[in-house]
Amino acid sequence: MLRIDRRSVQHFDWMLITLTVMLVVIGFINLLSSTHALGELSNEARRQLISLGLGTIVMIVTATIDYRHFERFALPVYGASLLLLGLTLVIAPMTRGSQSWILEGRLQPAELAKVGMILALSRYFARNPPGEIQALRDLIRPALIIGGPVGLILLQRDMGVALLTLLIGCTYLGFVHIPWRAWLAVAVLGVATLATAWFFMFQPYQRNRILDLIDPGRDPLASGYQVNQSIIAIGSGGLFGKGWMEGTQTQLRFLPTQHTDFAFSVLAEEWGFFGSVLVLGVYLSFLIWGLIVARSSKDGFGAMLAIGVVGIFFWPAVLNVGMVLGLAPVIGVPLPFIAYGGSALVASLIAVGLLLNVSIRRYVF
Amino acid sequence: MRNDDRLGVGTDNSVELRLPLVIGAIVLIFGIFVLRLFQLQILQGEEMKGIAHGNAVRLVRLEAPRGDILDREGRVLATTRPAFGVTVMPSELARPDRTLAALGMLIDQSSAELSQRIGSPQGRRRFQPVRLVGDLSYDHLARVESHLYELPGVHTDVRPRRHYVEGELAAHLLGQIGEVRKDQLQKRQYADYRAGEVVGQSGLEKVLERNLRGRAGGRNVVVDVAGRVVDVIGEIDPEPGAPVTLTIDLDLQRVAEAGFQPDVLGGRAKMGAAVALDPRNGDVLVLVSKPAFDPNSFPGGMDAETWKALTTDEWRPLQNRALSGQYPPGSTYKVILAAAGLQKGIVDPNEKVFCPGHFRLGRRVYRCWRRGGHGEVDLRDALKRSCDVYFYKLGLALGIDEIAKFSRGFHLGRRLGIPLREEMPGLVPTREWKERRFGEVWLKGETVSASIGQGFDLVTPLQLAVAYAAIANGGIVLQPRFVLQRTDPELGVVEASNPKILGQVPVDPEHLARIRDALTAVVEEPRGTGGRSRVPGVKVAGKTGTAQVVALKHTEDQEDDEIPIRYRDHAWFVAFAPAEAAEIVVVVLVEHGGHGGSAAAPIAQKILSKYFEKQRARAGEELAAVQVGSDAENR
Repeated sequence: MLRIDRRSVQHFDWMLITLTVMLVVIGFINLLSSTHALGELSNEARRQLISLGLGTIVMIVTATIDYRHFERFALPVYGASLLLLGLTLVIAPMTRGSQSWILEGRLQPAELAKVGMILALSRYFARNPPGEIQALRDLIRPALIIGGPVGLILLQRDMGVALLTLLIGCTYLGFVHIPWRAWLAVAVLGVATLATAWFFMFQPYQRNRILDLIDPGRDPLASGYQVNQSIIAIGSGGLFGKGWMEGTQTQLRFLPTQHTDFAFSVLAEEWGFFGSVLVLGVYLSFLIWGLIVARSSKDGFGAMLAIGVVGIFFWPAVLNVGMVLGLAPVIGVPLPFIAYGGSALVASLIAVGLLLNVSIRRYVF
Repeated sequence: MRNDDRLGVGTDNSVELRLPLVIGAIVLIFGIFVLRLFQLQILQGEEMKGIAHGNAVRLVRLEAPRGDILDREGRVLATTRPAFGVTVMPSELARPDRTLAALGMLIDQSSAELSQRIGSPQGRRRFQPVRLVGDLSYDHLARVESHLYELPGVHTDVRPRRHYVEGELAAHLLGQIGEVRKDQLQKRQYADYRAGEVVGQSGLEKVLERNLRGRAGGRNVVVDVAGRVVDVIGEIDPEPGAPVTLTIDLDLQRVAEAGFQPDVLGGRAKMGAAVALDPRNGDVLVLVSKPAFDPNSFPGGMDAETWKALTTDEWRPLQNRALSGQYPPGSTYKVILAAAGLQKGIVDPNEKVFCPGHFRLGRRVYRCWRRGGHGEVDLRDALKRSCDVYFYKLGLALGIDEIAKFSRGFHLGRRLGIPLREEMPGLVPTREWKERRFGEVWLKGETVSASIGQGFDLVTPLQLAVAYAAIANGGIVLQPRFVLQRTDPELGVVEASNPKILGQVPVDPEHLARIRDALTAVVEEPRGTGGRSRVPGVKVAGKTGTAQVVALKHTEDQEDDEIPIRYRDHAWFVAFAPAEAAEIVVVVLVEHGGHGGSAAAPIAQKILSKYFEKQRARAGEELAAVQVGSDAENR
């Protein structure tokens, strides 16, 4: 099982590794600035390094085991991740209005559930190729697969992560062939769901955040404050930025949750337009490379797995960068690799491991 | 598509077909991001730089006043008052030496100490205000205010400060508050706390933190480059914490605390604990631990000397003796043996045992506290006059494991599970326990000592109160409760629910009734040991206890006054009243107080008589109300 084929070494995916390393390094340098306290290595930075070490090991292991074995274990892994989510509901303490962390805040099972979900979805779509799916009823089972974790995460009252998980699951919709009339039906259903959520499920602060998006100046003190400060930080970065650890918005702590949700604002303030576009470019290359891996995969499962991994990185990037730029509502979704967060970093590296796994075996059989 | 498809389905062409579309969509979204960045950073860059560099909006936190703590009748035990403070922004101190020297003169503090408190912050810390003084008198405040413009970088502010209206009263139960510690901030429980925020650190302040805390507000201010406030844009008022109503009765608590005052002017204050609870529902009416401390000295940062004095004091004033002081139960333990003997049928309540004043087991002689002996005594007499010899014999007949079984039945030797974490479990020894603990076999002589609560057994005053409450209420072991009403941030007002029943004692009601009768004799009949706790008009049941601190041989030749304090016996007194329909159980322990009947019983008496005085007053009011009502009807 762990035997490494000569060909997978020959066709090692240096591109993917390079892009990943670049993102991890940028994220860490940025973290040093956003948590910098008197020049010493901050606690957050130290913990992030530990997570990086752990994540790298897990990534290598994930990449080494032939992904076709994952196909066999896809459903058990998915089931286990659901169990863990259920367990979280029972044992996790309530913190900041949601109940999503276990092991004293070291593990967020929702991160693992995303991987479990794309394994199960990949297995389904490998057997029912998206290109052959023409009717909505063929999507009932994938919808159930997505509904499991999303429902459990909703029960944890973590709306942001639930939405994110839902979107990741929906990545596959980009590849199915369903006529536009069916999409219209889906759209109507979606609007109805959103309306229900707005009136019955959203907390007042969540409604405020969406209203703030429409009119950021509405209430500069409360939720609009964060986005306003973020926009000021980003804008004041100018063309080349204020320099590393020189961002006044960051260092004077005007920016809220600057090492997590607003990490990209720190980056944009200190490195300017030039730096931000460069980082977005690296990110974009990473996503496109993931899709190229999907195309070059030899079997359906590998292709679907790669698409799922792209979804895991695409959606949080869109939500997070959109949020800090004032284009999307304030949903606490951190930017993978750039934001501080051990559990998230390890989960991201597992996802890279899956992609690497598919990539290096593209010529194996 | 490519080569052959071993799985039959393989890569279908959908990926290939849709790829350009999907890539196009992703590039489009990233393109929008780049455009937005271009707009913000290039087109509006200069403007934004101006906002960031010149005037900037800063959120100033407004602390929420902590909720009041009230007694059961709504009288304030702890509240919040405004306190004036002085803060310094290091980045704005142009000439630190001169400014601090001037400030020091104004508030009567040495400038060296002030500058030490500021230190020499660098980097970002320079922009964070340092609070120099937390609670300024009005005089000092006025002086600073009138010179504020000559003191650049010095600011005054008002913050809520905890005030314990009654000073030392119930200090251990109320607990302390203090700034959240660094190690606490690492925990998830304190995830939404910030450094410097005040949090309950012990006692009920800690237990009820969620209820008392409230929600901080904020003020959005425009500050200039130097950090000075130029304009206030908006403000959200803090939400004060909700009040909490305790089960404590302030009147009774005051009487109990006063009971520990020196008997004579200039005398030694008593140490120990007092607990009163309602045996019908577990409401704790009184909880005293002495020596105590003044909790008002905590929130503003107590000076090092006071802290050192409190923590190193030989008599440990910070310990809550009522819950975590573990003492030998002494003769108060005899009721457990009596209950066990009756239940097991070992004791015939009418059978008389002769007490010659001593008891011989092998070569050792165990003495009765009354050297001359009690003569012929039955169970009732033995409890009433606290005859040791009767219980030596009963204890030997029962055996230590049987005694332990019944003790556990009264919930001794285990924590009561109250939310105050400092609670201790006490100790109920068994043969097996001794094997485990010392690797030695249990000796018969140890059973003899245990029979009068003088062996390895340890109880806390609160445990003893719960055990006697079970005797008083017909056998129900209740968990003591401290809170009548609180407001949960999510659930709203929460009333105390039904009393939590921890268990039922393994003794039949008629045996408990017999014990109650004997305990009534202790107080109400001549020659009973607890006569000093009589309350006119009410039948009181009680039991004295004297717990030896060192073996008798060290002290027997000395007069009571000559024995060093630390070797004097602990005095216990437990009482409940009215004896046959008890509404209140009182436990008093006076450390090194001597005999239970003389040292502890008077304190219990004061608590009981205050309780019934209040009851009578209340009944009188009701009667008056009824009369007024009937008068009105007659008219």
